[in-house]
Amino acid sequence: MERMIAVDRLARPDDHILVPLEKMFQARVDQGYSPTNVMPHEEDFLKARLHAIAVGETQAMEAAGRTLFDFPDAPWEFQMDMARQVWDESRHAEIFIKLLEYVGSFLGEFPETEVLWSCTQIDDPACRVAGINRGLEGLACDVFEQIIRLAQRMGDAVIERAVDYVLADEITHVRMGSKWMRKLTEGDPERLKKAQDFQNNIDDLFNFQGGRTSREASPQVPLDVGGHDIEFDSTLTVAREARLLAGFSDEEIERLVKAASRSAAY
Amino acid sequence: MSNLGERANVMGPQPIFARYVVPPAMIAAAESVLTMLAAGDAAGLAAMAAPSGAAELAAIAAAVRPGVFDRHGIIAQARLNDHHYVKARLHGPHAEPFTVQFRLGQVDGKWRVWEAVNLTGRRGAWTR
Repeated sequence: MERMIAVDRLARPDDHILVPLEKMFQARVDQGYSPTNVMPHEEDFLKARLHAIAVGETQAMEAAGRTLFDFPDAPWEFQMDMARQVWDESRHAEIFIKLLEYVGSFLGEFPETEVLWSCTQIDDPACRVAGINRGLEGLACDVFEQIIRLAQRMGDAVIERAVDYVLADEITHVRMGSKWMRKLTEGDPERLKKAQDFQNNIDDLFNFQGGRTSREASPQVPLDVGGHDIEFDSTLTVAREARLLAGFSDEEIERLVKAASRSAAY
Repeated sequence: MSNLGERANVMGPQPIFARYVVPPAMIAAAESVLTMLAAGDAAGLAAMAAPSGAAELAAIAAAVRPGVFDRHGIIAQARLNDHHYVKARLHGPHAEPFTVQFRLGQVDGKWRVWEAVNLTGRRGAWTR
């Protein structure tokens, strides 16, 4: 079987709409929205965000599976961790598909982009876990923490608890990524730097062009979520506590916040 | 026996928000695009194109031989804010199916094609 497969080799049902990321951003610009994923202050936020997570969990499951397959010479414990992650991500995908139904949506209501899979396109397991486990799963910590807070403001225990349950797993995935990024690059600072650079590129890809801030700096705006009038974040927030639990350093978290605010200047 | 068709009789968390209703006018516009495509009505298609989608739609129209396809079906649709992606297939008795995906959005109350891609022979719009 072929290694390092391109995104168009992922199997999808014929009745799903696939759209490259840049075209999706253009479609949003055409409608007067920011060239990013859906933002918290938008009417469709909850449905669209849960949908993006559901397809993201599916791609994360595929990514962990491909990492297991692509690097057969990696340590056995690494392979076990990746196999465990496949199982976790498949469970997460099911949870979010059920949450979609809970909010009156369904898998396929919104288009699916290829962006998460594009982060697997590197032929080194250390870079792969740096990018996916630390970069993408770190982003998941941010996104999930924000949805948990939104659910709390709505008084919705179903969403709050379901997402909290998944967040606990994501924290272990980040820790797993940190462990393997260091173990696989032991005694090879150049390879460690390459892995960290790959993760930084992914962090930059998801800085939402200034639409990402610390939780404290996020302006609160009125939001109507299915008839619930609440005040909520207008930006995507960085989940400092969850990231610290996951093993990110203060410096790494500061770098993320600063990168996002730099981007706002453009 | 309880009536399971009644929401109040069903156990477990129930949907908290209503499902989005796909605008019938959008589906009607998509049907028009497909009918004109099969008929080779390039002028009609050009009139339905937003400036950003004009060249792509014209190229797709040029790739379809008029009269070859006698039926069509919408395979999927998905929305992004107020725009809708439609994936559809044209069929004919003596031709391979022709698959197209396009994005419809309203301009001054009229549905227009903002982008279009020919998916015939491709696995999907992710293919470069």
